[in-house]
Amino acid sequence: MAALCRGSQRWKRIHCFHVFKRKFTGKHDYDLVVIGGGSGGLACSKEAAQLGQKVAVLDYVEPSAKGTKWGLGGTCVNVGCIPKKLMHQAALLGTAVKDAQKYGWQISGTVSHDWSTMAEAVQNYVKSLNWGHRVQLQDKKVTYLNLKGTLVDKHTIRGLSKAGKETILTAKNIVLATGGRPKYPSNVPGAVEHGITSDDIFWLKKSPGKTLVVGASYVALECAGFLTGIGLNTTVMVRSIALRGFDQQMAGLVTDYMESYGTRFEWKSVPTRVERLSSGALKVTWTNTQTGCEHSDTFDSVLWAVGRSPETKALGLDKVGVQISKETGKVIVGADESSSVPNIYAFGDIGEGRPELTPTAIKAGRLLAHRLAGRSSELMNYDNVATTVFTPLEYGCVGLSEVEAERRHGKDGIEVYHAFYKPLEFTVSQRDSSQCYIKVICEREGNQKILGLHFLGPNAGEVLQGFSLALQCGATYPQLTRTVGIHPTSAEELMKVNITKRSGLDPTVTGC
Amino acid sequence: MRRARKPSQSKLKKEIREMAHRLLIRRVWTLSVKDIRCLPSSAATISSSSFSTSLQSPPSRVSLLSPPRTLPRTLHQISRREVSFNVQDNEDFTERVINSQLPVLVDFHAQWCGPCKILGPRLEKAIAKQKGRVAMAKVDIDEHTDLAIEYGVSAVPTVIAMRGGDVVDHFVGIKDDDELDSFVSKVIGQ
Repeated sequence: MAALCRGSQRWKRIHCFHVFKRKFTGKHDYDLVVIGGGSGGLACSKEAAQLGQKVAVLDYVEPSAKGTKWGLGGTCVNVGCIPKKLMHQAALLGTAVKDAQKYGWQISGTVSHDWSTMAEAVQNYVKSLNWGHRVQLQDKKVTYLNLKGTLVDKHTIRGLSKAGKETILTAKNIVLATGGRPKYPSNVPGAVEHGITSDDIFWLKKSPGKTLVVGASYVALECAGFLTGIGLNTTVMVRSIALRGFDQQMAGLVTDYMESYGTRFEWKSVPTRVERLSSGALKVTWTNTQTGCEHSDTFDSVLWAVGRSPETKALGLDKVGVQISKETGKVIVGADESSSVPNIYAFGDIGEGRPELTPTAIKAGRLLAHRLAGRSSELMNYDNVATTVFTPLEYGCVGLSEVEAERRHGKDGIEVYHAFYKPLEFTVSQRDSSQCYIKVICEREGNQKILGLHFLGPNAGEVLQGFSLALQCGATYPQLTRTVGIHPTSAEELMKVNITKRSGLDPTVTGC
Repeated sequence: MRRARKPSQSKLKKEIREMAHRLLIRRVWTLSVKDIRCLPSSAATISSSSFSTSLQSPPSRVSLLSPPRTLPRTLHQISRREVSFNVQDNEDFTERVINSQLPVLVDFHAQWCGPCKILGPRLEKAIAKQKGRVAMAKVDIDEHTDLAIEYGVSAVPTVIAMRGGDVVDHFVGIKDDDELDSFVSKVIGQ
């Protein structure tokens, strides 16, 4: 390692005409090198460049086990939020077409869905975003390198191109934002050979057909949701609980809706093997852990959604002394995203204890850039971050779950207001609204500050955004009830919640 | 999808100047590569790596490691018969666009770009009308991202007109048939 550094300096002296051309930035090639060109990495590098720093960003996509690869932009743009939401929209439109007939639309014949048309449109849009990011980096004067970065020492990075060519860069500060990739199960024969993950599903050219989704994270449920919505026979296999980490009452309502919507669920089951039959179909064998019985069925595709692991193994972190969590493999970071090595930072999905969300990564990246440029000392606030699960009936939430609120304030310290409501749009289309539900958790004493807000219904993401601002401002229950609702909407039901869980009364909203 | 935009006149002139400058650099490098081809390969590797880290937008197309396999065409060599072709790689671009005897329109397009699909056939028609007096090179910006970035392409479709290796004109966005005809005529020098 030391020999390499000395060697490169010797070469630099020989070819001094290149040294004269180099922009003088002190002893390093760059003020900042960001490894990872995803939501966080791009935001951080562009912000730093705008603040006058000399910045390079390294982005490299290791193809998935199935060979899927994609361009600049990271998980969100290529294999996450963006294609997911577009396919979710495709599924919702299918439901809308069914509803349309009740609203008077004359639709002749059956309406069917063509995967290839949707996939091509989604993939084309993602490609336009890849290009857009590339142009933005160029415009903001960030050097973009399509290289796989590894740390050599705390100021040196080795970048490896696809062809195997090496480039050495030095930087004053290094930021790690390499994100994560889906896990495969380690104990299921045939899992890697025959299964796909979220890395692959959005890039399939042909329909996945009858699909088994293994897992009950939001990735699993969102994928199963849109696959069901576009008309595919879809089964979700759940080992224990759905939406771990989310409010479990809401999680139950989400899966209840999905079951009534047409998704099959195999609860308390774990797959034991996956085999390919001569027909080309996949035979999956699983065990129901409650009954102990073994079952099997054939599917066209098996989608593993059993968790994600951080991309920290190939970074050379142990060599440089950057500490990672033994349990998760994520980088242990301080409140300012610093790692155990003073000039090396990590944030986004690879930060231990951080939410795995794009907006938090973007904001944290920008604040980090400001701190590194010495322009501010503001830290990222990770509290009260609103999220939405884009299942067929969407679930949006901000703040604490009911169990967490009880844990912190005691069961007697909180008041939970709730209501089952019916979106107006569901009435004419005669859709079942049994799971359309709202829960507002407040402190029982004092000013009755709102601790958590949960909304299950159409357009939950749009509904909830404004309420996350309210929580940020410390909104209280009296302020909520004093705010006049917009009529007729589903969101107004949040302003009208008045039945408490404690009272035991029926929380179904009746009439206006 | 990126929307096509019309740059202002002064910005257009600036962009053409910058493109011409880049082209000049490339031609100097292309010539100098022949000179340093005899350097030991280890020296070429190091120059290339320090080069790529020192300049913000290096003409990376010119690889110091692998000098062009073919020399620039001399005047008496016959130019290709196809008037409209897809650019395969950087060497292909140098050979068939920069070193072309004919004026060449370079159509930067993308698979995901709706307006490109409208402009493409119109360009083919305009080129065909000129009966071999002008050629068209089609560049897919996803396949040749570095080339597109080097030419300052941000929105698509972007069409650049080149004559004798120099950028003489360009436009961004869709044009109708008449506008294209006059654009092409101007490029040929009618």
